[in-house]
Amino acid sequence: MSTTQISRRTFLGLVSVGGASFALGCYPCFSSSDGKDGVALEPNAFVRLDPDGTVTITVTKSEMGQGIKTGLAMIVAEHMDCDWSRVRVLQADGDRNKYGHQGTGGSSSTRSMHQQLAQMGAAARFMLMSAAAQEWGVDLKGCSTDNGHVYHEASGKSKPYGDLATIAAGLNVPSGDVPLKDKSEYRIIGKPTRRVDTPDIVTGKAVFAQDVKVPGATVGVVSRAPAFGASLRSFDDSAARRVPGVVDVVQISSGVAVLGENTWAAIKGRDALKVDWDLGPNASLDTAEIRRRLLDSVGEHPEMPAGSKVIEATYDYPYLAHYTMEPMNCVADVRSDSCTIWVPSQSPDQVQQYAAGVAGVPQSAVTVHCTLLGGGFGRRSQMDFVQDAVEASRKAKRPVKLLYTRDDDMRHDFYRPMSHHAMRGALDANGKPVGFNHQFISVRGNSSRAAGARGVHILYDIPGATMMMGSGASPIYVGAWRSVSNSQVNPSIEMFIDEMAHAAGKDPLQFRRENISDKRMLKILDLIEEKSGWGKPLPAGVSRGIALYDGYDARTAHVVEVSVEGSKIKVHRAVICIDTGTTINPMAVEMQLQGSCIDGISTALFAEVTIKNGGVVQHDPFDYEWIRMDQAPKTEVHIIESGDAPCGMGETGYPSAPAAVANAVFAATGKRVRKFPIRLDELV
Amino acid sequence: MPEYTITVNGQQRKFSAEPDMPLLWALRDLLDLPGTKYGCGVGGCGACTVLLDGKEARSCLTTVAEVGKAKVTTIEGVSPDGSHPVQKAWVEHDVPQCGYCQPGKIMTVVALLAGNKNPTDKDIDDALGPHVCRCGTYERMRQAIKAAARGAK
Repeated sequence: MSTTQISRRTFLGLVSVGGASFALGCYPCFSSSDGKDGVALEPNAFVRLDPDGTVTITVTKSEMGQGIKTGLAMIVAEHMDCDWSRVRVLQADGDRNKYGHQGTGGSSSTRSMHQQLAQMGAAARFMLMSAAAQEWGVDLKGCSTDNGHVYHEASGKSKPYGDLATIAAGLNVPSGDVPLKDKSEYRIIGKPTRRVDTPDIVTGKAVFAQDVKVPGATVGVVSRAPAFGASLRSFDDSAARRVPGVVDVVQISSGVAVLGENTWAAIKGRDALKVDWDLGPNASLDTAEIRRRLLDSVGEHPEMPAGSKVIEATYDYPYLAHYTMEPMNCVADVRSDSCTIWVPSQSPDQVQQYAAGVAGVPQSAVTVHCTLLGGGFGRRSQMDFVQDAVEASRKAKRPVKLLYTRDDDMRHDFYRPMSHHAMRGALDANGKPVGFNHQFISVRGNSSRAAGARGVHILYDIPGATMMMGSGASPIYVGAWRSVSNSQVNPSIEMFIDEMAHAAGKDPLQFRRENISDKRMLKILDLIEEKSGWGKPLPAGVSRGIALYDGYDARTAHVVEVSVEGSKIKVHRAVICIDTGTTINPMAVEMQLQGSCIDGISTALFAEVTIKNGGVVQHDPFDYEWIRMDQAPKTEVHIIESGDAPCGMGETGYPSAPAAVANAVFAATGKRVRKFPIRLDELV
Repeated sequence: MPEYTITVNGQQRKFSAEPDMPLLWALRDLLDLPGTKYGCGVGGCGACTVLLDGKEARSCLTTVAEVGKAKVTTIEGVSPDGSHPVQKAWVEHDVPQCGYCQPGKIMTVVALLAGNKNPTDKDIDDALGPHVCRCGTYERMRQAIKAAARGAK
């Protein structure tokens, strides 16, 4: 390498990131002698440098397709200043004592860990520079690093990191923060970087939980309650036990588990079970009844300013399933004094705690291997599949690969809640919004009428904007679903703002611009206006709609183009603009926004979970539709960085997408969407 | 239990199974080929797609008894080292997100390109229309397919 490529960065010119303390950065130096050529540098639980130059970065958040293994490793590698081609990324086991909180959700992984991980990498870099300075007998201040080497410019000396590992391993780990690389010197963060798991995925080598080999493991499939609140009266397993390959049948909390030598035997055994269920108190519950309860809980909107033009609208959202491509599953091997688990979990540290209770062993005796997750979207933060696997293994005294069939997965989810939104707004004589009230009625254990309007911050400058919460009683299990309640609150606001713009006689984009003062969002509006060609003519029969979202620290906008052909709505193009703050991996940002746009369109147009006889009706990809290749629009993702800290990317692309579709449908038909999924004969 | 001998990825593989066992479970549970994935079991998602004599088939709907003399190719048999043009294009365009269903997509595209060196958007829609990708990787797949077609020529 020529001297012109040597970074001139030295510690003299750098400042420390202030204040924050990172417990793991202060761990005593822990080195292992596992190679002939020296010992590895292992300054903390996240970084290891072997004498051969291999850098192993441990990622503690779960990989479910969002690219977090790559993104978090990029942060460590950047601040370690190592050679990315020498980096291996390990998925951490679930271990709260060692790694802290591992819950992967709320688009929080990068936001919550980037400073800590930068310090972990920087600590290793500091130690390698210190090692070089010691060996060369030079002042640390004259040393610099670049791409896995330490340089001393004055003497012209340089060494690859690996050659310094042994010496560095003998040094003290810095007890506080060390200086970080300046953003202007980044060569990994912000560069499009391919995901570390892709080569294994395309060759079939990537390991998902059901792929692990566990000697003596049986496959478990469970006969589950047909209705929420049902309880098991009795079962007859004589036919099931006669199915070739069925090994055992055990009763567990969620039903009756049939264990087979292979998956097919377990499925056939489950089908042969005779189970008598007491359907319980919800045996006649259906979607219409739950909707009635939601509507019964609508309260009184506050009065709007005197003399203003009042606008009202309601929006309904169905229950949604998560529908991950990999159905829920978990592998458990419970022994008298230990429990080993392989699980695709968004909370592997919580699995460790939870499984200890179910297995009846101390938490320290539970080993949790977190595999790749075949999709998460919030579903894999739940513990139901862990409970099933651990219980079945404990009862049967053998390892169990517990699998939800697709039908189980669809009908025993923790659904995105059904909700009803009642909106009232007001415009003055100039078309300026002067009143806004949003009643958000969702499903809960008990019904409660919306009341107590309280001030709420929304993206738009509307004086006295308020929100009211209410609920309709429902026993259907609910849980986090990509962007949680933002997935319903924001589309409601964005559809309603569109209705207000129309009532004011204004263009939907201009109306938004006139009533937003957030500078980052105003930039995004400018960008999407340009990139979408807003206001410019479209092909015959094509209309566009816009929607915005301000959440997970990011600013996001969608413009989608739709046409209505017969009874079908087709989305042709989606332009997505985002202010990421700081982009870690532009490729991952693009993928997350493309994926959440597909979710937005799928849930705007197709997906719906309905309830009949107290249970979920939908059970496979034919009755729970997600868009497919022939329905997927062209997408364009445009990224700007306002220079702030990195924002959440996993969820921010969803909450504007369905509203943009709905607003485009209005532009195409002159009729408003009141209910998802959108059906043309239900427009008003 | 009947014995079957089938050709998988160029090798003769012998196993005992019930005749109605879907090929999917034979591959995964009996033949140590877990790259083929279970998605729905009813031919509705495409995650389990394999090739039978070069033509795509849903292994969840194909019983072991039905395989007969057909040569089975799974994701593990597409290439020894990930060097098939479709695999290379998938890496180059970084198509997968969670990756779970991607082996099925790749098998369908391998079959598509074997019979059609220059697929149109409509050809791609028709071939992958029966598949679902819950992560929404459709656009990157389309780009990768076109790149693979160019590379394969």
